Amino acid sequence: MKLHVVFNLSGSEYALPFDSVLQMESYGGATMVPGAPAHVDGIVTVRGMVVPVLDLRIRFGLPPAALSLDTRIIVTECEGRVVALRVDSAREVLKLDVEKHQPAPSIVSERSSGFVNAVHPLGKRLLLLIDLPKLLGENSHDVQPRALPDDDGSNARPRLPS
Amino acid sequence: MTATADLKEFIAAYLVEAEEHLAVANSQLLLVERAQRDGETNPRAVRETFRSLHTIKGLSAMVGVEPVVAIAHRMENFLRDSDRSGGALPQSAIDALLAGVHAIEQRVAALSRGDDAAAPSEELLASLDSLGLAPVITPPPTAVLDLEPAMLAKLAPFEVDQLVRGIAKGQRALRAEFSPSPERAAQGLTINSVRERMAKVAEIVRVLPRAVPVTEAAPGGLCFVLILLSLASDEVIASAVGLASTSLQSIVRSRAELPPELALDAMDGLSALIVTRFRLARAIASLTERGVNTREVSEIMTDNARQLRDLRAAIVRVRMVPVSELLERIPLLVRGLQRATNRAVRLELEGGRAELDKSVSERLFPVLVHLVRNAVDHAIETPDERVRRGKPEEGLLRIVCGSHSNARLEITVSDDGRGIDRSAVSRKAGRAVPSDDAGLLDLLCIPGLSTREIVTTTSGRGMGMEIVKRTIVEELGGELEVHSQFGQGTTFTLRVPLTISIVDAFSFECGEQRFVVPVAMVDEIIEVDPDALVHVPANDDGSPAVDIISRRGVAVPMLQLAEIFRLKASRNGASKAIVVRRAGAPVAFAVDRMLGQQEVVIRPINDVLVRAPGVSGATDLGDGRPTLVLDLVALSASLNGGANLLPRA
Amino acid sequence: MTEILVVDDSKVMRDMIVACLRAIPDTSFTHASSGLEAIERLSLASFDALVLDLNMPDIGGVEVLEFVRAQDTLRALPVLIVTTRGDEQSRDRVMRAGATSFLAKPFTPDAIIAEVRAILADRAEFVA
Repeated sequence: MKLHVVFNLSGSEYALPFDSVLQMESYGGATMVPGAPAHVDGIVTVRGMVVPVLDLRIRFGLPPAALSLDTRIIVTECEGRVVALRVDSAREVLKLDVEKHQPAPSIVSERSSGFVNAVHPLGKRLLLLIDLPKLLGENSHDVQPRALPDDDGSNARPRLPS
Repeated sequence: MTATADLKEFIAAYLVEAEEHLAVANSQLLLVERAQRDGETNPRAVRETFRSLHTIKGLSAMVGVEPVVAIAHRMENFLRDSDRSGGALPQSAIDALLAGVHAIEQRVAALSRGDDAAAPSEELLASLDSLGLAPVITPPPTAVLDLEPAMLAKLAPFEVDQLVRGIAKGQRALRAEFSPSPERAAQGLTINSVRERMAKVAEIVRVLPRAVPVTEAAPGGLCFVLILLSLASDEVIASAVGLASTSLQSIVRSRAELPPELALDAMDGLSALIVTRFRLARAIASLTERGVNTREVSEIMTDNARQLRDLRAAIVRVRMVPVSELLERIPLLVRGLQRATNRAVRLELEGGRAELDKSVSERLFPVLVHLVRNAVDHAIETPDERVRRGKPEEGLLRIVCGSHSNARLEITVSDDGRGIDRSAVSRKAGRAVPSDDAGLLDLLCIPGLSTREIVTTTSGRGMGMEIVKRTIVEELGGELEVHSQFGQGTTFTLRVPLTISIVDAFSFECGEQRFVVPVAMVDEIIEVDPDALVHVPANDDGSPAVDIISRRGVAVPMLQLAEIFRLKASRNGASKAIVVRRAGAPVAFAVDRMLGQQEVVIRPINDVLVRAPGVSGATDLGDGRPTLVLDLVALSASLNGGANLLPRA
Repeated sequence: MTEILVVDDSKVMRDMIVACLRAIPDTSFTHASSGLEAIERLSLASFDALVLDLNMPDIGGVEVLEFVRAQDTLRALPVLIVTTRGDEQSRDRVMRAGATSFLAKPFTPDAIIAEVRAILADRAEFVA
């Protein structure tokens, strides 16, 4: 039995082990960082640290949503990195029996780009379990820069005549 | 009645155990030696060595092997004294002790063959008698540990040190309680099994027994308290060991509980003061706007500003250490490495007088050590090989520290050794041969990659290049570069921020967002007269338009910051431009309006997701949200890749 | 049956001690390889005597002794502290901590037999 945080994204329910969660906070927006990938809202300050905010809707390929009073950021810690996840709402912390986790059906893991690696049926609900290291993945191969230097040099980036 | 025991019958078993203890003594001494090469001590290993020799002495005395007793007795005396005075061993002592262990090994081997154990030479005994101590005095900083004073008093200074260092590195410091009982023993839970399982998920610093009232849970009236360091969660630890997670408790005192005088980080306190002051200033400004007479309050605020500046200077001075301190330990390190690896190395150090924040310096040192070891052990060839290649016998290792764009320190570590064999490295990593230095650096930083088939004792374990990169780039927010020519040599360049502290900064608005830039970086702030701009249209080669602004007769290229950052351009056009200097040439950045000047605390932006060229950190201007701190010099560099900024005539 | 707990982190040492003490009739021996294990065993079973080495990892003989003497049930337990030549200066410390007797290595079988017999005899008188 392990504690998990349960959160919502566009009607689906997801779960994260509680021991990777540092803090949960309400969210009023982040400071934009030029050149950050499209799914990064920007940075916020948490416990004196500067922490990036990942918009999970965008990361999962869902249409973006406006901020609401329910929007939350879940501040997670994984392999030494601290990253905040922006979700539609996060209201529950549940004890889940890890033996009841099941491997995710291939359509689920495909649609979620592999970020969901298991599911947990709970009565009528189905909780999708997040692969946190994969979600926070550092490789820039799957991230598109939003503003600054495009690697291929395209887009009118002011380049000074040499 | 059984006959009186003949202890000589135990010789065979004694020899086996003696060999085990000798192996422990050897490996512990090598650990001490390796720690010493890093400029550190390993008191635990010194204590383990003492215990091994002490046991060998007792056993040898029981079975009557006098020669071994004589050697072991002197060794354990010296080690006991060293343990009592802090657990440090001078290098000469390590050599003598290793010789002593070897001498005992020889005698144990002789006895195994059936020969006699020879009496030790006078020379050996004399060398062991004349060993000098290297006392270490570390006052244990116990304020951060939340433990009963009685228990804290039982911890050795090096154990407290171990805990504090572990906490600083981000480990959790915990206590786990285990009460033995017949039921638990039947289930396989004894203090021995608990310790064994615990060691797999945590570092056991110490185990303390505690008498407790006899209850059903503790029928023996006994409870063991295990003091631990671990990265795992309570649940993981508890289930690995077979205890309830309620038996685990943190022993780190949270900052809120510390009495104000003991606040560990004066800088945090000071930065809170400064943010509060900024809020106060704005509140007063808004009162003034409403017509309230705030003259007296403003005068007080001026005094307060001066006091804060003085306080900040004092604190920053305490935290700042000169770069030379970083370099001081390198010559000793290189001397030791030369001997161990049979190389001849000439070391050149150029210090510069920069000062850097203590926490930056502390993180830099192990990185430097790793690069130096790599250079001496892998890069620089043996004297014979060098002569064959037409190089001077002595290899050259050069470390240079200098300032870089005012807010950064640049350190280069160069050698004239073999250079990096790109094809060998890429083969080892199973990747394509890199086409440029940046690609080579990526290759070198692949986790687990070692450029030598045989792992040598000097540089085998410890940091890899991957950790160097993580420390410099991610932890410190700096840069790492390598330049290498096969056959000729390699240069590593590190650039790190000088401080992660407080600087004077200009705040400004651009594209409806606020930013700050350190005052030290700014040459000048000029008015932008749209009519006096010269517009250089886009070229055929695809480079876009740029504005040239005239500043006292000198043409200065001007960039629109809003455009670079893809922000909303302001309606009235930029009215001010911030001029910085890059490699001596001025560059201007047009912004919407200047807001003010204040002291700000810079917090590093560590995560790779939000690294951006030109952003050196974030600060809080009093609204609780991070405001980006810009390094305009670095920004201009990233936009132009080093080329001349002005259009050719 | 006289139950004796022998505590030393060296197996050879423990075997040698047991080999010597077998000469005393009706004795049964339990081994412990560390001070912590010794304390654990003492809390869960009763013994008639404790033979304790001074130099052990994790928790030294003196600390075990201090812990033992602080328990009501173990206050009267006869304890023989065994130590190596060179620890003579700790003899006072050991006796003040409550050791019943003290023996330095190397010792002959006769010496340890005499010591253990003596501390067992004291106890028998006390109980009586």
